[in-house]
Amino acid sequence: MRAAPRGKLSGVATPVALLTPAQLLLLAVILLPSIYVGWMSFQRATFGAEPVFIGFANWQALLADRVFWRAAKNTFMVVLAVVYGELALGLALAVLMAGWMPMKKTFIALLIAPYAINEVSAVAMWRYVLEPDIGMVSWALIQLGIGQLDWSADPTDALALAAILGIWTHTPFTFLILYAALQGVPAELQEAARVDGAGAWSVFRHVTLPFILPALLVAVMFRTITAMRIFSEVWLLTEGGPARMTEVLAVYLYRAAFRYHDFGLASATALSMVVLSLLIAAPYLLAAWRRMAAHA
Amino acid sequence: MPRPRAFGRVWRLSAAMIAVAWSVFPIVLVVLSSFRPQRDIFRIPPSLIFSPSLDNYARLFRDWPAFLPDMLNSVIVTAGATLMTVGFATIAGYAYARHAGRWLNLSAFFMVVVRMIPPIVVTLPLFPLVSFLRLNDTHIVLVLLYSAFFVSLATWIMRAFIAAVPRELEEAARVDGAHLGHIFRHVIVPLVANGMLAAGLFVAVYAWNEFVFALVFTTRNARTAPLVMSEMLSTTDGVDWGVLFAAATIQLAPVLACVLAAQRYVIAGLTAGAVKG
Repeated sequence: MRAAPRGKLSGVATPVALLTPAQLLLLAVILLPSIYVGWMSFQRATFGAEPVFIGFANWQALLADRVFWRAAKNTFMVVLAVVYGELALGLALAVLMAGWMPMKKTFIALLIAPYAINEVSAVAMWRYVLEPDIGMVSWALIQLGIGQLDWSADPTDALALAAILGIWTHTPFTFLILYAALQGVPAELQEAARVDGAGAWSVFRHVTLPFILPALLVAVMFRTITAMRIFSEVWLLTEGGPARMTEVLAVYLYRAAFRYHDFGLASATALSMVVLSLLIAAPYLLAAWRRMAAHA
Repeated sequence: MPRPRAFGRVWRLSAAMIAVAWSVFPIVLVVLSSFRPQRDIFRIPPSLIFSPSLDNYARLFRDWPAFLPDMLNSVIVTAGATLMTVGFATIAGYAYARHAGRWLNLSAFFMVVVRMIPPIVVTLPLFPLVSFLRLNDTHIVLVLLYSAFFVSLATWIMRAFIAAVPRELEEAARVDGAHLGHIFRHVIVPLVANGMLAAGLFVAVYAWNEFVFALVFTTRNARTAPLVMSEMLSTTDGVDWGVLFAAATIQLAPVLACVLAAQRYVIAGLTAGAVKG
């Protein structure tokens, strides 16, 4: 530890005291429970009974369960649609707002409005307009001959609606990160490229994009991890039905624990979600670690 | 950015209008429909002109007497979580901004790592524990959970803001004999109030809107507004859309106003907390 400038005691004791509340909270609410989940995944655990060690039985049951694999596949599809849908939309909006635009503040405020809406309201809003046969968007789609989104009966349509909901609620996050990154692109650089005869696309591709790439990758990483947790949208639309066809990982976990009281199986699911999240975040975490070590 | 030619201006404005329609249309529709008479809610084509009525709101308070107490629970939990998170994050952010060392780095890295853990994971061990402690359906459980999942982002935001405060200001106060509590109150806090607002906004929006923890840990006494709204949405005898829209309007009005008014804090917080990780 670097020599503290103001007395030996306060040099070490002060930061420790200042960090204790936050670190204790993280330890008690997140870290220890997460480790305990790992241990629980090797137990037969149900609510109100002593857990019994059963080795890899939960993991075998999980990997043999076709519903789990379907949930994993559904999650994968939804995450793919949500993350790249959001990226395309967020990037387009960021580029649009970074350029010439009257009443820019107002436009940006209106674009981030969905960030304030809770998931239940969001589901209510979209269900209302897409209610089969009677919702106004369903009606309009039928009139146009496109056919409606049959989300209450068709599993694919239900997951598509969950993805639309995810994109609608979270695009503000991706948009704002990219918009803030675009503010940092030096205007002289773009100007110089333009003077050299580069077209708009070429300037974007060779000057702007490389500059915002780090922020873009961080946004994609964060959204991949958070989109993987999708629960409310699916739960409130279909509860995973019909016949567990639309379950995602978090719904599978919830159902195992709080409907079937199989905490062992739920813990195995939970641990796989944690491991997957950490793997996806690994490059980001590694970069963060290097940066911190460099500052020590 | 040079002002584009007429065609470019029209093109850009139309694109922005379409984007705004996509993001605002569902919200406007729900707020407007909450004042629509019940029989007009599914009228097609939707009538733009209707005589507004408060009938849906009257039915909300009559059929769902728990709604107002549940809103109060949301207020309590949001206030508690916001105060706890911003308080913890400000002092922790100070430690990271002003001190360095291997253990400090390690604990900072730990704070980044825990952000990757999906919140639903901790419900599994905490549910039996909370029942054992007889804390089921209490505000404190939600306050602790919401704080824990946002204290690290908030700490990052506060670290960035505090690092921007010149050390000389503190040193001057220290020379005058002020101790840390005094320096916090009179030097740091006034200068990083914007950061505290940004950090507080993120926690408050999360706590106000959160669904999964509320679903697992509350049933009646500490049930929050989103949860009672989910019950309105999943009734077996048909959704009363007017009532649900009235509830949604009341729930979203304060948070939407805050987010719209504080947009620059949202941007500042996101850049400090996520990108500069």
